[in-house]
Parts: sequence; structure tokens; C-alpha cells
Amino acid sequence: MHADRHTVALLGNPNTGKSSLFTALTGTRQKIANFPGVTVEAKLGTAKFENSEITIIDLPGTYSLAARSPDERVATEALLGRVPGTPRPDGVIIVLDASNLERNLYLATQVLEFGLPAVIALTMLDVAQSRGITIDVETLGKQLNATVVPVNSPQGKGIDALKAALHRTLHHPGKALVVPFADEFNRSVDDLHGAVCDLSVKLGFKPARPEALRLLVDGAGPFFDECEQVGGAAFSGTLQKLRERAAAGRSLALMEAQARYGLIGGWVAQARTSDDEGKRTRTDKVDAVLTNKVWGTLIFIVLMLLVFQSIYAWAGPLMDGIEAGVGALGGLLLALVPNDMPMLHSLLKDGVIGGVGGVLVFLPQILILFLFIAILEDLGYMSRAAFLMDRVMAPLGLNGRSFIPLLSSFACAIPGIMGTRVIEDRNTRLTTIFLAPFMSCSARLPVYTLFIAAFVPEHGIGPFNLQGLVLFAMYWVGVLFAIPTALVLKRGILKSKITPFLMELPSYKMPRPKAVARVLVERGGAFIKRAGTIIFAVAIIVWALAWFPRDGAILDKHEAAIAASEGEVAERVATIAKDAGFAGDDAALAAAITDIQELTATHEEALAAAEKEFVDETELEAALEQRSAAFTAALLELKRRHGAAFEPAQAIYTARTEGDEAVAVIEKQRDGELLAGSFLGMAGHAIEPAVKPLGWDWRIGMAAIASFPAREVIIASLGTIFNLGGEEDEESESLRHVLVDAKDREGNPLFTLATALSIMVFFALCAQCAATLAIMRRETNSWKWPIASFVYMTSLAYMGALVTYQVASALGA
Amino acid sequence: MTTLADLAVGASARVITVTGQAALEQRILEMGVLPGVLLKVVRQAPLGDPIEIKVMGYSLSLRRSEAACIEVEVQA
Repeated sequence: MHADRHTVALLGNPNTGKSSLFTALTGTRQKIANFPGVTVEAKLGTAKFENSEITIIDLPGTYSLAARSPDERVATEALLGRVPGTPRPDGVIIVLDASNLERNLYLATQVLEFGLPAVIALTMLDVAQSRGITIDVETLGKQLNATVVPVNSPQGKGIDALKAALHRTLHHPGKALVVPFADEFNRSVDDLHGAVCDLSVKLGFKPARPEALRLLVDGAGPFFDECEQVGGAAFSGTLQKLRERAAAGRSLALMEAQARYGLIGGWVAQARTSDDEGKRTRTDKVDAVLTNKVWGTLIFIVLMLLVFQSIYAWAGPLMDGIEAGVGALGGLLLALVPNDMPMLHSLLKDGVIGGVGGVLVFLPQILILFLFIAILEDLGYMSRAAFLMDRVMAPLGLNGRSFIPLLSSFACAIPGIMGTRVIEDRNTRLTTIFLAPFMSCSARLPVYTLFIAAFVPEHGIGPFNLQGLVLFAMYWVGVLFAIPTALVLKRGILKSKITPFLMELPSYKMPRPKAVARVLVERGGAFIKRAGTIIFAVAIIVWALAWFPRDGAILDKHEAAIAASEGEVAERVATIAKDAGFAGDDAALAAAITDIQELTATHEEALAAAEKEFVDETELEAALEQRSAAFTAALLELKRRHGAAFEPAQAIYTARTEGDEAVAVIEKQRDGELLAGSFLGMAGHAIEPAVKPLGWDWRIGMAAIASFPAREVIIASLGTIFNLGGEEDEESESLRHVLVDAKDREGNPLFTLATALSIMVFFALCAQCAATLAIMRRETNSWKWPIASFVYMTSLAYMGALVTYQVASALGA
Repeated sequence: MTTLADLAVGASARVITVTGQAALEQRILEMGVLPGVLLKVVRQAPLGDPIEIKVMGYSLSLRRSEAACIEVEVQA
């Protein structure tokens, strides 16, 4: 049997249950459609009905087709099949919220003017019913000249009926709705339609009549820009004349709204009966608390603390778990690599495993934030939160919806940027995305911790501690720079003519676990797929820069040193054995060495376990003492058992341990020298003149470049370049000491308080986070924003570090 | 002239005209706030701005600066 295929666009106001209808229709077979040039996205899914297959395009929820930005224009473009890669719809499903019929019908009248075969899905009937509203489906269908199907997506009711209606409708041509505009208005639309059709060739498409109507009423927007570009002043002149003629001194927007709402009023009067006038709904009662001056504010603050705390702190153990898991799996993988393949080993360890870990480690924060956002959004609380916070954000040119994304960015900018989807206005959203990395995220904390502990004295200043004050200041540096940035952006390049903050406060609904779960899967998946690949690629590139060109001379030198050290140890061992009267391969001696080795290893493990177990200092001390006593006793027991072999065995064991340590030191030195000679090291040398005024030398410059994938990488890079190996963390005492002792070429201390402050300010302001840039690229659908962000923030960071160092060193820090 | 921004919480009014910049005016009209329509001020945000109104059976939040573009006639 030949299956017939169709494409249908799904349109409706926000908060109408459109997404859950889409899922009910298409199941889990969904993918994200790529709409070039816009920051909103649509989803594609397939609904099956009998022998037909219907591709459904879920367009972003909107109140009107009037388009002031490309994001708003995309619905019209998609309806007309003009989005590359997205099929042209041969029908539409319009979602109408039964509890809110008038305003929902406004968009419906606009869509029905396109004349595509249409089916109406009537949602929220239960809410309407609870308010005493009854809707005559038959009458409404006749008025709209379309089949109206009541649906309840969460319960799966009406879905098959909707598909059947769709199937019937798609086989008949649609009939365009005629809205009763004034004659002069209609004539002007026709004339304008003619004028834009004359531009068809240059535009590359034939504009539809409803587009001409939009052009006439809106008089601006992306479609106007397109027409003006190809039609020039002649076109603008024609449009101006026609607008004046149609308006005859009145407002065109008012004429359109009155004609549509007039028609709608007539329909609703016949199709709807209501007995609720003025009754307090459940939502009203809940709102009386949730937006109350005292209780509402209090609940909001507690909720925000909970959101922040959970991303900031509760994600920690999960992130550690992921890192440990990836590390363990990586260890299994590394065990398969032969020892004589150091490059493959390093590529797997620092490139591949590090890269995978670097992607997955963000998942807990993303999922936790979206768990909250999805629940709060489903509940209807997100709009209330925006209502409460709008006054705070408005002076920055932002609105209340920017608050939660920016707050979350203090934990991590990535979920924060992903969370900006709740912001409807495109320019406000872009500004919020741009500001997110200024909030001091948790990845900066290790950098602050290391440098504050090493270089900021523990003075008390009044009731405060200087170290604490510096940390506090670092958190404010970003905010301080974010404020003027927001003002400049919103008054400059992202200036919208006006960004109204008219926001619907939807009725409260119980969050549906399935819908919440779907959001989590979708967001997590999108992050891994789209941002993950970029993060991974950056990890591999930076690994390669740190590995190559790998100077053979350095390798040879250290190999010789290692061989020499090992030879020395072997000689020492032989001498000890001979002096004690044992043959080199004496079995009793070997057994004694093994016993000592095992006992020492067990003892060290016990000590480490005690360190972990006891927090209290006196308790810890007691535990350590007790374990040491046990160790001494066990040693005595070994001595008694092995007799004459014990003393030389212990000496041999010590010699070998010292030998291993010497080799480790040589290896770390080798790694340091190799890194210095790598492309990264060369880059560090190359930028040294530029970073000198910041108080940095090439090593710090190199570590800063190496930390492009993620800020905290600077610590491991400093560890390697100062010959401590790459395993050092911010709590490492030895790294702190090495930094304090490090000297520059003239033999002066490399790090002073001024240098440390300059590095911290740099990291507070820079965009050294490949994951943030990758997610920015994904959310704005363009490389323009991440590049702008990187250039701008790096420049700010440089200037900030420069001023900090110069001022601090002038003050003698 | 009384505007929506002047109304106290709890007051009901009928819309007379909508003014303001073209884009703002259009958005207000699209959301169902047009001459002749009845609306009611439900509450204001804890910081005094924005306000919430009930219009056409749903709740709409708007800033005072936006409400000032809506001229109204207070209903008893």
C-alpha cells in the first residue's frame, strides 16, 4: 500500500499545552529543526495515522504573527515553507486554550487567513469547565470553517480524533478566512501585495497576501527590511503612501485588532456560555499568596536559595562521581595501552578521557537547574518569579525573566545560558546570554582558592579577614563589569525599538512528571550532542598543542638521567647485600623485602584512611599515633621473624624507595621541560611581552592559554610547568610553596601579591571556558556571539589585570 | 486623563484609547487590551512595579510605564 505523507505546522499561544499535544501526537520520535539565523527553534516529529505519515512542525508559541525580529518572523516563514531544510506544510493544527478563548483566537484568525487546511485542537477544557465555561464545539467549528477537536494530551484523549480530522482535512483544499476589514484597508493590502509581488524575483519568493497585510500594519520588521533592501526608496515610498491611505488618520494596529477582536467577540458570544463572572479561581487564590508582598517575596527567596544551593553544592558530589567514573573507565582503557606508546597513552588520558569528562561533568548542574525550571515553568511559577523580579532587572534594560538564568550562572554559566530560553524577547535574551559568563562561576573558585591561600596574608581587617574580603571582591568584579556591559548592549547594538514586558500569568497547573522528564532528557541530550562535540574537540586540540613537537633531546637527556639513577640504586642494593653477606638473589632477603614493602603499603593506606575518617585534630592525632605504634610493633615482629635478613632488607627497601622518588622527580622535570618546549610553551614565550605588564612571565601566560578549555586547568598547567606534575589541585601545599618560591629570570620572586591579584582579576573577567562558548554558539545559533564574547571578555580581563597589577605594585603589594 | 497606571489595586475600568510607540501599542492591542474592553487591577508586584490586570478572562502583567499608555475610564 502506498503511504501518503504530509507536513503540518502546529501553532498556538504560549501556555496552551501545545508541547504536550506535540508529544502526544508524535511520541518520542522528535528532532530539533535547524532554523538558520534565529535563536528560537522548532521541533519536528512524525505522527502515524492508518497508512499516512504526518510530519509535524512544532513552531514556537506566539500571540501574533506580527514580527519585529527574525525570531518572530520564523513562524510565517515556516508556514510558507521558506525555511531551508524544513518541509513546506500542507496544513495546520491551531491550538486553542478553551479557558482563554478570545486571546487565543486572535492568532487563529491570522493563521486562517493563509488558507491552509486547518484543524483546531481545543485544550484546557478541564480548566474551562472548573470555571463554569462551556464551549459549543460544533458552532465554533462552523465559525472557523474548520474541525474543532477537544483534546486532553496528558490523558491521550482526542488524539486519534485529531489525527483522523487532520487526515480528512488534508485531502481537501483549505479556504482562507476573510476578516471584515474596512474596504480601504483591504484595497491597500491588495495594492501592497501587488507591489511586493513585483519584487518576487529579487526576493526569491512570491509573498503571500497575509504577509502584505503584516507589512501594511507593522510597517517595520525583518520582512520590511528584506523588501526595502531589494525595493529601495521606491518601495518604502509606496508602503508609506498605502499606510497613510489605509489608516486615514487612525492607527492601523488598532484597526487590525478591532476587526479581529470584533469578529472573535461575535463568535464567542454564540459558541461559549459562562456562569463564572467574577468568581475567584484556584489560581487567584494561590496567587494571593505567591505574589504577596511578604509571603510571595519570602517564598521566592527560599526557592532561589534552594535552586542556587542545589546547583552550587549538590551538583558537586555528582560531578565528583562522574569524574571518578570517567577516570576509572579511562584507567581500564589505559591499562590496554602498551607502556611503550606514551603518545597514545597521553592522548587517551589527557585528550580523550579528559575531554569526555569535561563534557559530562556539566550534566549534573544542567539537569538540576532544568529540573527546577521545568517544574516551575510547568507549574506556572516562572512567570510569577519574573513578575516579582522585574523591577530589579529593568534598570539594566533586562526584564524579570533574566533573573533566574543570571543567578544560576553564579554556579555555572552553561545551565544559565541554556535557561535563557524562558526569555521571550530576543534582544533581552541575547543580552542575558552575553552577561552570564560575567557571573563568577564555581570553576573560578579553585583559581581564587589557590592564589588567595598562597599570596593573600591572613590579616584581620575589623571583623573581616583579608583573604575572605579578596574572595568576596572577586565575586563582585564580574557583576561590576556586567552592569555597564548590559547598559551599553541594550542601548547600543541590541537596542530594540521597544521591548514591552507584557507577560501572561498563566493558570497554575500540576507539573507533569513525564513532561519534566522529557525536558531533562532533551536539554541534557542537546548539550552533549551540540556543545559536547565542540568541548571535546577543544580538549583534543589543546592536548596536541601541549604534546607536540616533543623535543627528542629533552627526552634523551632525562632518559639518561633516569638510567643513571636506576644504575646507582642497583649498585647501592648490591653493596648492601654483599656487606651483609647475602648473595644478590638470596631468597630469605627477597622475602624480607617483600614483607617490609607490604607492611609499609598497608600502613600508608591506614594513615590515609585515618586522615579521611577523623576531622577532629586531637582524635586524628590519637588515631595516627595508634597506627604508628601498631606499625612499629609489626616491624619488630618482622625483624624477629627474618633475623639477619631484616636489617639489609630494610636498607634495600629504603634505597629502592628513594630511587623511585628520584625517578619521579626526573620525570616531572622532563614533563615540565617538554611542556615548555611544546607549541603551548612557545605560545607562552610569544605572548610574554604582552603579559609582562600584567606581572606575568611566559609560564603564567602559557598556563592561561592552556586553560582555554576550562579555567581550572590553569592549576594543573602550573603544576606541570613548575615540575610538580599535572595532578596538583588548589589545596596542594607543595604547589603553593613552589609558587611562592618561583623566581623570574632576574631571580626576583615571580609571584607577588600584585601578580596573584592580577591573575585572579584576569580569571574573574575572561571567557576561558570552551563549554560556555560552545553553548553560546548553540543557543544563539551563530558563532558571532561566542566570538564577540571571547574577544570582549578577554580584552576586559587583560585591561582589568593590567590596572590591578600596576596599581597594586605601585602600592607596594 | 486617567491611565491604567493611576488605578489602585482592585479598581475596574474600561479602556478608552491605547497610545504609545507603535510596537508597544500593537502588542497591547494584540493581548486584548483595546478600546471598550473591561479590565481590573488585581495586584502590584512587591516592589511596586509591574502590575497584574485581569482582562478577557486571563491575567496579564505589565509595567507601569506601559500601563501609562492605556487611557481608561474608572467603573463604579
